[in-house]
Amino acid sequence: MSALHKVLVVDDDPVVGKSFSRVLGQKGYVVVTAGNAREALSKVQEGEYDVVFTDIKMPGMSGIELAERLKIERPWTPVVIVTGFGSTANQERARAAGVSSFLEKPLSPEMIEYSVLKALLDAVPAVLPGLAEAVNPEPVEQQNSVNPEPAKQQSNLKKVMLFAAAPFIGLAFIITLPFVGLATLAWLGTQSLFGKASTK
Amino acid sequence: MDKIYINPLPVRIWHWTNAFGFILLIATGLQLRYLDVIQVMPFQTAVQAHNFVGFVLIANFFLWLGFYLFTDKIKVYHPELSPAKYFMASFRQARFYGYGIFKGEPNPHHASAYRKFNALQSMTYQIIMMLVVPIQFFTGLLLWDVARFSSMVEMFGGVRVVDTVHVIFFIFFTGFIFIHPYLASLSHTPWAHFKAMITGYEEVEDE
Repeated sequence: MSALHKVLVVDDDPVVGKSFSRVLGQKGYVVVTAGNAREALSKVQEGEYDVVFTDIKMPGMSGIELAERLKIERPWTPVVIVTGFGSTANQERARAAGVSSFLEKPLSPEMIEYSVLKALLDAVPAVLPGLAEAVNPEPVEQQNSVNPEPAKQQSNLKKVMLFAAAPFIGLAFIITLPFVGLATLAWLGTQSLFGKASTK
Repeated sequence: MDKIYINPLPVRIWHWTNAFGFILLIATGLQLRYLDVIQVMPFQTAVQAHNFVGFVLIANFFLWLGFYLFTDKIKVYHPELSPAKYFMASFRQARFYGYGIFKGEPNPHHASAYRKFNALQSMTYQIIMMLVVPIQFFTGLLLWDVARFSSMVEMFGGVRVVDTVHVIFFIFFTGFIFIHPYLASLSHTPWAHFKAMITGYEEVEDE
């Protein structure tokens, strides 16, 4: 894919935007993040985006409403719904709004990259029918047909390795959790004390 | 209210076999340990029942392991690799259990097919299922036939050490068997999670 594609990621959790930036930044995409739907709409007014990823549950306007607004104002922009909570009602509403696809968290780097490619390639025929076939006769299959089996095996191995490492990572987290909790409380307490002192 | 398919059939079979099996292991284990205090069944019957149920649960564990290893549901037991995200989610969940739940606040965790556990549950179950349970089965196997596994028992410090580890985890599982149903009752209705583990479908509030 081209290095000039711009992706807008809308999520009130900044970690999601960072994940997209990390994965897509390495592939040459420009990733812009927005913390809520209003901010996303103003960013879309300011500049053109090739694909928009949005969470459903956000303060104020929901991701579905954002998708509906974008489909009215910019029907050519593909919108992908990303959520940690994929109920069938939400999927139906998202499809009715004309979103490109519906992704459930947790997202792997492969899922992020594949969904951007798919959304971009799906969007081409909508704007210029026939162009997608001329440019890339089997777009998605070609991406996967380079060497699908080793990639799949590597992915499966990674999944099993993560599964096997889980209890040890869990133990490390659980052991450090009380210390992090106490440090956070101490920091909050200090902030509160200094805050009060400075207001006096 | 929407429903999502969260507990596939193999998981439900494994869960209920495990639940009843662990109750039987705890009961027969208590009989073996406190022979002078409890006389519910003859010692030999308790030994045979304890061994039999133990092997059933070892087989059941491999059913669980096979299901997760060979399906995409393996993601349920994948760890959170971002410490910041994990600690934030854990504190949010701990705050909910310690305070929010008594004020009627909504649960900060929304279950989905691949994220059915909250941050605290996720790490706890990863440790229990892949560390504590295998160690308990392994020590149980060594104690089942000490003579056959004598060299291995010696390698781990002798019968006393192996037995102590087995009993410590026995105490842990006895506590778990009481805490688990209590935590399972903390849904939008007391029976919602129990129903989900029977039907497979979890009721979730729409966003």
